[in-house]
Amino acid sequence: MSLVDVLKEGATGSISSILNMAKIIIPLMVVIQVLKDLNVLGKLSNNMKPLAKFLGISEDSTFPLIIGLTLGLAYGAGVIINSAKEGNLSKKDLYLVVIFLVACHSVFEDTLLFVAIGANGWLLLGIRVIVALVLTTLAAKHIDKMLSNNKIKL
Amino acid sequence: MDENYLKNNSLEPEKHNGNKKNSWDYKQTLVNGLKNGLETTWTLSKIIVPVYFAVTVLKHTLLLEAISNVFKPFMNIVGLPGEAAIVLVLGNMVNLYATLGAIATLALTSKEITIIAVMLSFSHSLFMETAVAKKTGINVAIILIIRISLAIVSGLILNLFL
Repeated sequence: MSLVDVLKEGATGSISSILNMAKIIIPLMVVIQVLKDLNVLGKLSNNMKPLAKFLGISEDSTFPLIIGLTLGLAYGAGVIINSAKEGNLSKKDLYLVVIFLVACHSVFEDTLLFVAIGANGWLLLGIRVIVALVLTTLAAKHIDKMLSNNKIKL
Repeated sequence: MDENYLKNNSLEPEKHNGNKKNSWDYKQTLVNGLKNGLETTWTLSKIIVPVYFAVTVLKHTLLLEAISNVFKPFMNIVGLPGEAAIVLVLGNMVNLYATLGAIATLALTSKEITIIAVMLSFSHSLFMETAVAKKTGINVAIILIIRISLAIVSGLILNLFL
């Protein structure tokens, strides 16, 4: 195979991948902008008391949780840093929210981009959400002990 | 894909100006959304194009085969061919966008792509995201252990059941 063929394959292949992803990314960003500007996520986080109870986190931590889950870890961390400054988040909440978010964040973008290249999106999303829920509830049960024993330097 | 949020936006969430529904400037929302979409697509392109070219060139040399043979024993445990090691390395060292270019170049089955996607979704952009997590004041060693273990365990389990 000549170099020209290789370059041709690279050019056509990468352009078609990008067009595929643009079809997903651009509408997604418009939807996310609507959610942000209408403060849908803020309102949604006020209705998540049952989830907070289930996960063992305080109600104040649902906002960073929902932001990180939908918009991404960087946004979620931004909200966490803010809430921490205002003193709304305990050390326990901080750990539980971050543990949830590292297992599962920016679910729309990540899932759709992998679907664009051929992954099973429902399986991907399902596994992430379930693992995040299980991991966080498990951590919630044991974190008090760990924090008080100072077994690990948190 | 948090790089864009760091680059294009401040870390703090935007002030929500849509509390009064009747004053919602939907045109501005649409413009901002399209702008973010195009900017993200541009960021994506800058990463995917070079990675796609690099992996295409590798594919037509013996190098990809050599890399593949080295990693085969490890990758087979999680049901992936040896060359998929490139995808996992790119995802963890760079970001998910880079993996999209690499996955598109390699001929992988849908089972393999799903396994890679799940593994990478737990563990990716480790340098960047660990730096972000550190800013919240958390012990990042714990976070790294959780992420990498989740990736490996999920790969093992998916390989058995898919």
